[in-house]
Amino acid sequence: MRILVAEDDTISRTLLERTLQRAGYAVIAVENGAQAIAELVKQDAPRLALLDWIMPEMDGVEVCREMRQRKEQAYTYLILLSSRESKEDIVAGLESGADDYLTKPFNVDELKARLRTGHRILELEDHLVEARESMRFQATHDLLTSLWNRGVMIELMSHEIMRSRRERSCTAVMMCDIDHFKSVNDQYGHAIGDEVLREVARRLHNSVRSYDMVGRYGGEEFLVALNKCNPESAVARAENLRVKIAGRPIQTVNKPLSVTISIGLALSTEFAECTIEEIMHHADMALYAAKAAGRNCVRVARPSGIGTPTDEQSTQTQVLTP
Amino acid sequence: MPEQSRENTTEQPRQIGWDVKELLERLDGDEGFLCELLVIFREDTRLNLEKSRKAMAERDFDMLARAAHTLKGMLRNLSMGAAAEAAASLETASRENRGSDSKELLEELEKELEGILPEVEAQLAGVRS
Repeated sequence: MRILVAEDDTISRTLLERTLQRAGYAVIAVENGAQAIAELVKQDAPRLALLDWIMPEMDGVEVCREMRQRKEQAYTYLILLSSRESKEDIVAGLESGADDYLTKPFNVDELKARLRTGHRILELEDHLVEARESMRFQATHDLLTSLWNRGVMIELMSHEIMRSRRERSCTAVMMCDIDHFKSVNDQYGHAIGDEVLREVARRLHNSVRSYDMVGRYGGEEFLVALNKCNPESAVARAENLRVKIAGRPIQTVNKPLSVTISIGLALSTEFAECTIEEIMHHADMALYAAKAAGRNCVRVARPSGIGTPTDEQSTQTQVLTP
Repeated sequence: MPEQSRENTTEQPRQIGWDVKELLERLDGDEGFLCELLVIFREDTRLNLEKSRKAMAERDFDMLARAAHTLKGMLRNLSMGAAAEAAASLETASRENRGSDSKELLEELEKELEGILPEVEAQLAGVRS
């Protein structure tokens, strides 16, 4: 574990450094408060710090105050070192944000014991942060596929559409649906159905750029938003996604399964006045058209109606042949 | 009986206000490390005493208090109890701008240190030889 020691008195600093090294710490030693802050705000900064109360530049109490104002960082456990004994000072020190204090000259066993308390608090903090992050993930992602869940996906797309309108760029919204998914579940069971959903999700996610978004709309339906998308290449990119699924069978525990998807595409630039819900509705209509056209193909929503993507005809393969 | 007690007295370390035994215990008996600290001590004491004398001459009590504070911490860390308490009193007096008290206390501190420094030198020589 790394620890910062800020102490202007060389003897005290050297003593602390040596004692802490013997106790197994990696020590960063500095001579004043300003240097302490500089170390503590670094990426990967030590999370335990021993700060002398009276130091040049910035004293220990000021360092505590400054550190507590920075809330974005992981918690740092701060111990003030004091040769003062009066109660008011101790109260002032703790109120500045210090977790504990030690009087100099320190007793080695007491120092170690107080640092162990620091470790406990930091571990507790880590567990809480971990739990919070895990809950945040669960609240925003689909449990089965780890894609964005429906609510978050719609919210993200809504922001993206507003941004693309401001920046005069285009967002392509796609509704993707696995063809004949019900028969997979009926024939092979839900466990295999889940495998198929996960693999389709994985392929979709891996086939878009980091700033595009993929979410699970529900059941076997997925939403894809391509941000800052060139309207001319949107269809080709939808085709690419279709091929990523149809091009290679999905390896399930039972056997490889051929799976295809149908895609309905709507461009934000074509529906300049529409809300995200309306654009999704248009994409959904295009998806219906793709299904009606025989599945495993892409259809594009136009304000004038549903169009076929260019002259390049989508292939329609036999779906889910076991 | 009186003879025995006299014998005991001669075995006691000289009262120089420096508990080397306690200090070495805190350093896990590491004499090499003790030596390192004493070298720093010798230099830092000299610097801080100079600073204190200068501050006293200029009646800069703020600077005097800071120098006394540094000396106090250093002396306490090295188990030099009597000198540390003299430095502590000097720090308090100078913080309260008590000029004549500060002057007396600085002299007292210097006297304490004069007693300790030869012991420090002896310790350094002893470890080295």
